[in-house]
Parts: sequence; structure tokens; C-alpha cells
Amino acid sequence: MTTFIAILVDGSIYASWLFLVSAGLTVIYGVMRILNMAHGSFYAIGAYAGASLVGWWFSGAGGNPYVSYLLLLGAALVAGLVVGFFIEFSLLRRMYGRDEILMVIVTYALLLILEDAIKLVWGVDPYFAYQPYGLLGRVSFSGLTFANYDLGLIGVSLVVGFGLWLILNRTHKGKLLRAVIHDREVAVAMGVNVKAMFAVTFAVGTTLGALAGALTAPAISVSPGIGVEVIVLAFAVVVVGGMGSIGGAAAGAVLVGLTRAAAVHLAPELELFVIYGVMSLVLSVRPQGLFGQTLVRKI
Amino acid sequence: MRSLIRLCPGVFGRLAATLVAAAGLSAAAEAEARVELGASAAEAEVSIGCMYPMSGRAAIYGRDSAAGIKLALADIQAGALGPRAPKLRVIVEDDRSKAAYAVRIAEDFVRQDKVKFFCGMVSSGVAQAVSEVARAQKVILVGTDHASSRLTIDALHRYYFRVTNDSWISNAAGARYLAELQRETGWKRVAFIGPDYDYGHASWSDLRESLQLLGVSYDNVGEFWPRLYEPDYSAYISAIAATKPDIVVTALWGGDFIAFLRQAASTSFFDSIQLANFDTGGNYEVMLALGSNPPPGLILSARHHNNWPDTERNRAFVAAFHASEGRYPTYAAAGAYSGIMAIASAVKTVGGGRKADVEAMVEALENLRLKLPKDPDGFTSYIDKTTHQIVQPLAIGRVVPNTDFPPAKVMLGEWRVYTAEDLIPPPEVVRRRRAAMGAKP
Repeated sequence: MTTFIAILVDGSIYASWLFLVSAGLTVIYGVMRILNMAHGSFYAIGAYAGASLVGWWFSGAGGNPYVSYLLLLGAALVAGLVVGFFIEFSLLRRMYGRDEILMVIVTYALLLILEDAIKLVWGVDPYFAYQPYGLLGRVSFSGLTFANYDLGLIGVSLVVGFGLWLILNRTHKGKLLRAVIHDREVAVAMGVNVKAMFAVTFAVGTTLGALAGALTAPAISVSPGIGVEVIVLAFAVVVVGGMGSIGGAAAGAVLVGLTRAAAVHLAPELELFVIYGVMSLVLSVRPQGLFGQTLVRKI
Repeated sequence: MRSLIRLCPGVFGRLAATLVAAAGLSAAAEAEARVELGASAAEAEVSIGCMYPMSGRAAIYGRDSAAGIKLALADIQAGALGPRAPKLRVIVEDDRSKAAYAVRIAEDFVRQDKVKFFCGMVSSGVAQAVSEVARAQKVILVGTDHASSRLTIDALHRYYFRVTNDSWISNAAGARYLAELQRETGWKRVAFIGPDYDYGHASWSDLRESLQLLGVSYDNVGEFWPRLYEPDYSAYISAIAATKPDIVVTALWGGDFIAFLRQAASTSFFDSIQLANFDTGGNYEVMLALGSNPPPGLILSARHHNNWPDTERNRAFVAAFHASEGRYPTYAAAGAYSGIMAIASAVKTVGGGRKADVEAMVEALENLRLKLPKDPDGFTSYIDKTTHQIVQPLAIGRVVPNTDFPPAKVMLGEWRVYTAEDLIPPPEVVRRRRAAMGAKP
């Protein structure tokens, strides 16, 4: 029973992190049909920005340590929005309507540029922002102890997921966005400002990536290359769930997270295999992913 | 003709292939240009090709290694090896932590730069690949950082040498520490967590073998193998805790070890478990990350310590590094420093330029005795001919408050020091492991 609870909680924590990492990727693909290879870089920028601000706060600049959580959120918001809008305006806006594979290459080039830009700004030394992680203490139940910060990630991912669902399904702008997703040409014909929609969507996606990075920063050492490592994992999650589907990303994250936790507890040597094993299994049965829709096109 | 087709699988397949290929190539984007140190190509007696990660997660090791090389070259010119300092040309290239890329660099070093020595490498996987180039090209490889004992014991060849402790030496000392601790506390249950690649597996294998040789009886309650650069250890931490070990030994290193420590410290992990890392856990970057409230029960060591041995030579090395770089070194710096000093000694013995005979250099290295920053007073490092591994004493310590190396608030202390000769793998172990490889014992 203890092992079952451990798998459930550990799996939920990992799933929440996976969802945060992959939500922005799937939002951008769902609306813009751009598989954003640079998503990992936004994750890294959020992590560096968050770690820098938290480091500054605890190096004598600040007072109340709990403000550091606001700094993490603020860092993600500012870094994601500024960099996201800048890239959309200066680069992607000129590329809309191109082939999806070309956009993969464009965003891959962006990844390379951003990785070097990160090194120019922050250098290659690791950054440590551990204080927010330990500040919340820990909780014990069923003989197991968990960091409250990790459990808090589950709450944050639920808020992010619910917020995205709410915006898409219960707001006017969300309905306009769904119209764009359904048929971009008709949406334009009906007077929807698709360019503005795309700009906002891209900035929201990059901000979600930066948020994932900022919230992960207190638990890791932030160093060059962290963005590259998450992109393949995020891709696995959105492919399992169905590309472009928020619900799919959530389902994919839960499936991968729980399976990985079960592997760690029951057969540790299979941990890496099960993540991609799940992906292979799902794709062999449903090539479009669990929540993905089969599209048709004219040729 | 127009028809409708199912599009998704094809697009997903193409996207997936592109993405995976691009992700695999992404590290390539971080390459940094090569750096040449020391004498020019025209005046150098010998050229040395060093490969370190200068980008990505392990970049700090590459950067500190390059700084260590500069210090070694300066010391050599200042007469550290006596009069008539050999003129060395050291080329440092970013190996990107990729074996295939490092092999290409190594081959270019031989073909274009006519190097007589390779040096460096942080990843044991990269070192194994380059070691094969060294064997084939008859170029001497002096390992300064990577630590898998497979290179010194199982698959040693004539042209491979190591100048910092490998996983055998570190874990032989660790086994002695654990044996002493068992006599004092009666611990019985041990679990292991290490990165799922050669270094992690070699470390665990070396520790178990050393414990067996010492006759230590224990229960192996679990082995855990996260991938390298795993960001989330929470599942591992609760899985390890569920096995109720007295001691957890880990071979996680760098940012991975720090992430594990941080995540474990926020659970009840350290309430009843001691965590030991005998090869890399005492690195300065870990001391820095521990802040002022380190978790209890840490048993750590590293391949070099800024505060042990407390000798004039070690203090001078650390101070020179700080004066040059404005920060204190990780163990990578002392490793690279030792490598260049060892090579310089061999060149000085044999002679460079046209006299630079590789076979004679091998002989010189096999008979090398060299005073290094890691040597306590009265001890001089030397090469073990059987394994081509440098023989040095090793100190294992506990975390104690210490602000002598800011910004770190803690350093290791309460040292237990293990005699160098006790840490050499016994001949029967070397014979058995080489026989298993089909190699010459």
C-alpha cells in the first residue's frame, strides 16, 4: 500500500512538472501549427531569470523570504512575454503559412541562437536558487515524506490547466481562438485579427515554458543545456496526448508520470524505457495521440 | 486529381524524426572555438591536444581545466620542474561531451597538429572512445577528470594514463570508511543510486568489490539508476527511503548530485539515512550549493580539495587559481594541472622535438614521481605501472562550517585519510577483470 501511495504521489508530482513543461508547446502547436523547437530555451530562460532574481533576493537585497515565490512567477511572466512577443514580431510573423517542417527548422535555429544568448547573458556557471524549495517544509503521510514545494507544483499545474480550459471554452477571446484553430481562412474572413491572436498565443506559450523553468529552478542547479534536455520529454508527452490538445497534454503527462514513477519503484532499470515505451505503444494504436484528431487535407 | 488522405501519422512521423535529430544535434550549437596555450607551433617541443566540455552542463569543468592548464604552464616556465623547462603547446577543444565528436577532434589533433599527447575528458564514455584512438595512433592519453576504472583496470593499454583518482581508488577509500563506520555504528543496510552510464555502474561495482575484499558484511537493499541530467529525483528519494537503508552511496555528480541533495533535504531522507559520495561529492561546487544549512549525515570526498592537504603547495595552487580566475577551483582544475605537469616531466626526461619518442615517454610516465598539490607533506605522487593510475592518498570528510573559501559557507573537515598504497587494486582483481575482457592480465 505504501508503495502504491508513493507511486501515486511521485507520479502526480512528475506529471504536474511534465504538464507545465509541455503545456506551452501544445498551445502553440494547437493554434499556430508550429512545433516550437525553441520551447526548451524558454524553459531555460525562465529558470535562469528565476534563479537570478531569487539569488539576488536572498543575497541581502530582500526581506520576506516568501516574496521569492512572487519573484519566480514575475521572472517567468516578464521573461516569457518579452522574449515571446519579440520573437513573434521579429521572426515568426514573417514565416506564417509556411510548411510545418520549415517552421521546425526555423525554431530549431532559434533554439541554437537562444542557447548561445543564454550563455552570453548568464555565463556557464551553475546558478543555485534553493531557498524557495526548502522554505515550504515537508509533509508526512502513510510513512512517506514529501516536499511541500513539489506538492505545490501539482496545484500550480491544475490552476494552469483549468485556466487554459476556461480561457478557451468560456471566454469570447477563447471562442475566437477556437475559430482560428478550426479554420484560419474563415476566421480571417469573419474579421478575426489572426495576427494578434497568433502573437498572444505565442507569448502565452513561451510564458508557460518560462513558468515551468522558473518553478523548476529551486530544485535543480540551473546550468547550460537544461532547456535542450526537456524538449524531447515535452515532445513525448504531447505526442502521447495528441498534439495541440491541452487535455491531451494533461493525459499524456499523467500517463507518462505515473508509469515512470511505477518503474522507479518497481523496476528502476526500466525508468527511461517506459517513457518512450508508453509513447510507442500509444502511437502504434492511435498515431494521432490519445486526444488528437485525424486531420484531412486536399492534395 | 484530388483526394483526401489521412495526414496526421505522416506529419507526426516527419516531425518526430526532425525533432529527435535536431535535439540530438542541439549540443553542437554550443561549440566554442579551440584555444591554444603555451608555446607556438613553431617553437613547441611537443604539442598536446586536450578535450573538455566547454559548453553544456559540464562546461564549468572544462573552464576550470583550462585554467588549471594555464597555471601548470606558468609553473613550468617558473621552474617548477627545474631548469630548462620544456616548451609545450596545449590545444584545448570543446568535445561537447560527445564521443563521436571527440574522436573526430582527436584524429584531427594527430593528423593536423601532430600531437604526441591527448589529455582531458570529463565523461568516461568520451574517454573510452578517445582511448581507442590513442591505442591505434600510439598517442599517449593522460586522463585528468573522467574516472571509470574500466580504463585503468579492464581495458588498459600501453598509451593510457590517469593522474587523478579513478572510481576504484575513490571507492576503495570509501569501502575503508564504511568498514570503520560499521565497527562504530553497526550499519547494515546500504542502497546505491548512480547515473545510468559506465561511470555509475563502474563506481558501484568497484565499491562492492572493495567491500568484499575488506570482508564487510552488508545487505544490498536497492540499486537505482536515474538517467544522466535527471531533473526530478523525488520518486527515487521515496523509493530509496522505502528500502530503509542505513547508508546510501551515490555516484551522482555535478548538478545531478546537487539536485538530489536539495530534493532529499526537503524530505525526511536525512533523518535516518547517511549519504556518501566518495568520488565527486566533496567538490567545491557542492560546498557552494550546500549554503549555510547543509543536511546532516553527508560523507564526502573528491579528486582534489581546496582545504586538504593543508600544505604550502596546495595553498599556493588554490591561491594562484583564485588570483587568476577570481573564484575557487573545482577538482577539475587540479586534475588538468597534474596532467600537464606529468606530460612536462615526461618530455623533460625524454626530450622533445625530434627526440620526442612516444615509447620512451611511456616508459618515463610509468616511472613518474611528481610532487603535486594533492600530496601531503612527505608524500610524492607516482604512477602504478600495472594500472597506469596515479597513486595518491585520499581523504574523506564530513561537512563543517568554514568560510575560508567564500562564497561557500561550508567545507569538508573531520578528515579520515587513507594511505595511497592501500587503495591500489590488488593484482588478483586486475588479473580477473582483464581476463574477463580477454586482455593481457
